[in-house]
Amino acid sequence: MLAALAAIPVLIAVVVRLSAHVPPGRGPVFLDRITQNGMFVAATAMVVAIPLFLPLTVGVVAGDTVAGEAGMGTLRYLLVAPAGRIRLLVVKYLGAVVFCVAATLVIVLAGSAIGALLFPVGPVTLLSGDTVGAGQAEWRLVLVAAYVTVSLAGFAAVGLFISTLTDAPVGAMAATVVLAIASQVLDSLPQLAWLHPWLFSHYWFDFADLLRQPVTWDSFGANAVLQAGYLAVFGALAYGRFASKDVLS
Amino acid sequence: MPAVIGLGVWAGPLQATVAAKAPDRTPEQVLALVAQSRVDALSGTIEQTSDLGLPQLPKTGLGATAGAASWVDMLTAPHTARVYLDGPTRMRVQVLDQLAERDLVRSGPDLWTYNSSDNTVTHVTMPARGFKKTLPSALPARVESPDQLARQFLSAVGPTTRVSEGPQSRMAGRAAYHLILSPRTTDTLIGSVDIAVDAATGLPLGVTVLARGQEKPALQVQFTQLSLAAPAADVFRFVPPAGAHVQQLTLPQRPVAHPDAKLPNARLPDAKLPGVRLPGHMIQGETHRVPVTVAGTGWDAVIEAAAGTVSQQMLDNPAVAAMMHPVTGGRALSTSVFTVFVATDGRLFAGAVPLERLQAAAAAR
Amino acid sequence: MSPSPGDTGTTGPGPAALAVETHGLVKRFGHQLAVGGIDLAVPQGSVFGFLGPNGSGKTTTIRMLLALAAPTHGAVAVLGQDMPRSFRTVLPRVGALVEGPAFYPFLSGRANLHRLDAADANSPAGTRAARVDAALDRVGLTHAAGKKVRAYSLGMKQRLGIANALLAPRELMVLDEPTNGLDPQGTREVRSLVRSLATEGTTVFVSSHLLAEVEQICTHAGIMRAGLLVAQGTLAELRRDGREQVRVLTPDMARACGVLARLGLVPEIAVSVPTDDDGGLVRAPVPERRGEPADIVAALVADGVRVRGFAVEAGSLEDRFVELTGEGFEVVE
Repeated sequence: MLAALAAIPVLIAVVVRLSAHVPPGRGPVFLDRITQNGMFVAATAMVVAIPLFLPLTVGVVAGDTVAGEAGMGTLRYLLVAPAGRIRLLVVKYLGAVVFCVAATLVIVLAGSAIGALLFPVGPVTLLSGDTVGAGQAEWRLVLVAAYVTVSLAGFAAVGLFISTLTDAPVGAMAATVVLAIASQVLDSLPQLAWLHPWLFSHYWFDFADLLRQPVTWDSFGANAVLQAGYLAVFGALAYGRFASKDVLS
Repeated sequence: MPAVIGLGVWAGPLQATVAAKAPDRTPEQVLALVAQSRVDALSGTIEQTSDLGLPQLPKTGLGATAGAASWVDMLTAPHTARVYLDGPTRMRVQVLDQLAERDLVRSGPDLWTYNSSDNTVTHVTMPARGFKKTLPSALPARVESPDQLARQFLSAVGPTTRVSEGPQSRMAGRAAYHLILSPRTTDTLIGSVDIAVDAATGLPLGVTVLARGQEKPALQVQFTQLSLAAPAADVFRFVPPAGAHVQQLTLPQRPVAHPDAKLPNARLPDAKLPGVRLPGHMIQGETHRVPVTVAGTGWDAVIEAAAGTVSQQMLDNPAVAAMMHPVTGGRALSTSVFTVFVATDGRLFAGAVPLERLQAAAAAR
Repeated sequence: MSPSPGDTGTTGPGPAALAVETHGLVKRFGHQLAVGGIDLAVPQGSVFGFLGPNGSGKTTTIRMLLALAAPTHGAVAVLGQDMPRSFRTVLPRVGALVEGPAFYPFLSGRANLHRLDAADANSPAGTRAARVDAALDRVGLTHAAGKKVRAYSLGMKQRLGIANALLAPRELMVLDEPTNGLDPQGTREVRSLVRSLATEGTTVFVSSHLLAEVEQICTHAGIMRAGLLVAQGTLAELRRDGREQVRVLTPDMARACGVLARLGLVPEIAVSVPTDDDGGLVRAPVPERRGEPADIVAALVADGVRVRGFAVEAGSLEDRFVELTGEGFEVVE
């Protein structure tokens, strides 16, 4: 799955390289900047990956955590080992978070590499119109990866909880991914404005605040608090469900 | 409800109750405080929300709304802007859109605008005098600061307005007085305007416009963060980024008619709602003299623009067309605080009044 | 209610220490009663056969013994400690094969064992490689240890599952249908493995639906029927409880039945034995000792029954099982 995520920036870079001209204001944000500066490949890939590809892969990993072991039957052997149920949940969740870190870093690093390979690299224009050096820009992209990882942490906790509900990993994965889509759909409906700050996907695109000058940390903080809330609630739900669950698979 | 989030939400009000209360002042004293206010330097964050009863365009997810839809977006969607001010000639406004930003930077005679979504820069060299009247209305950043907006409302205070005072509150972490402006006439759509004034400096911190008979604010502009320290100097330094499309605008030495500036009722609240300068937006050729007349004074005044001054292209724009609805004698855009009516003969009427008054004004001639 | 860990292994006066003990153990899934209140007593050092047809509640009971499922009512003590509360101290001393082996197909057999061993936070990592290799060697999988499990046959997976149970020295082995999927050679190996474990002092709890298997390796057995433990004890006790049977080989089957009925027995003609000129087999359980068996022969002969053969047989475990469960038994060929 990491390879599939790495393919996103590569695909974007190759397509842009092969096409004659990208008109500004069309397609994903930053797409039109790539020919001038390869560093925008990673940013574009992140914009493309956030609504679907990242939730998809993280949903697969998080939905598989417990249900996958149950489906294979290995869950009973882990518990008899004994792994301890809380420890198993914590380790599984940390595994999902490590995947989130790897997934976002893969997009940034693969994007930076292919961008440097196919396009010129130089000082980067931030959203505010200010220009920063390539090194600082790469640092900001790593910050973006950190932001997106945090964004996905609460979502991964939701997936962990769903994964404790069933022995069918595919069902847990599908339900988790569907929730990610539903959250984004709800977030786009102005009639539900009261709900928006509570949706785990609400701050997903605000990683752009790290590309402003000066950097706005408000969304990072608000996002971290929200995701921590999701982790607390769904972590507790997963514990409540799994600690007393009869493992019959 | 998530416990952690709940705690975060609670922390705000708790802090507020702990803070000391500002000394009581009469409405007149608060008005005087605003008039004397001299804040030269600040940096802060402004939130603008509106609930005008218009359909909001769904976010597309990938990138900010672009082109003609952007000003519709400005009317309906919430917005956040950062403002930096240092002295009379150094200013920066950043409208923070999703995955995009619109900037206005002024440093001395140079005025720059930058729009990240199409990577365009506008450069204007300001004349030494009269700069305020000549701000091009094509500026991309159209969030008005609570300060400017409040002063426009307050300057309109006269016999048609009743001024009272609401309970103190805290805004952007500062103690604030609340002035309540209520129209004495019932012919206007506006119920009241609440202006929050910083107790320490007299700087207006927020403006809330309530439509008549509505509990939720039709429009709210307020500081959510505010620091009165001078911003770092490099905030005001702007160099056009490499690869950006730069447009040079030259201004004539003598200020000319800008529709808003020309309007005799330019200080009327309805013409000055942030982002709601509909006449200005919808009128072609803003540097030309525009035949605009105003009937009445105060809150229920009606603006009329002659036929042909409204760009057909603008009216045919899908985003605009979606909000206009056919009514007797033409098409109308109705919101909770103002109404625009385009008669079949092309004349345009607008005001903070019900549609019937505009239709009546159109029929009267 | 259960002996403390310090008591384990001591053979003092009174009942032997129990490796597994349950009291009124009930498991209900919704309205369905899977286990209906059983009092299991597995003595330490025994090889305990847990018998019963499929669906009689064996595996559910095993899951409760291993803290995988919580009892609806009742108490479970394993190695002298309450379960599931004390799973942390009990389970490291228990090796288990539950309802067939389960492994990550994309990992090698050795890697699977490493991972499962590491799942116990307290298992010593330093000796892990050696213990894994020893377990693989003990089940004869050393040659296939590096192969991915997806390439394993069912029998190899079963051996790997047993190897997992052998990763550490255990005081109790719980083996759920250990010979499933094994060829006759593998089955023999499992039997000898169980015997060698028993000689080492490990209590072995083997569930099976194969009677022959239990008869060959077990010292004790318990029989489950529809969620209830209908009998348990040593094999000798179970056989003794079974009724004796008279078998009469005669061509005058109908007359023999009449005589036996007159003597208060309940005869039946054994249909499984083909009738030919030499006659057929009539058998009848003996409810209790009624005089000498020779008196029965005399009565038969006096009535003109031509007796070609006569025997009084002790009850087999199979008859006992059929009697208790009312069900037929799968017979090992």
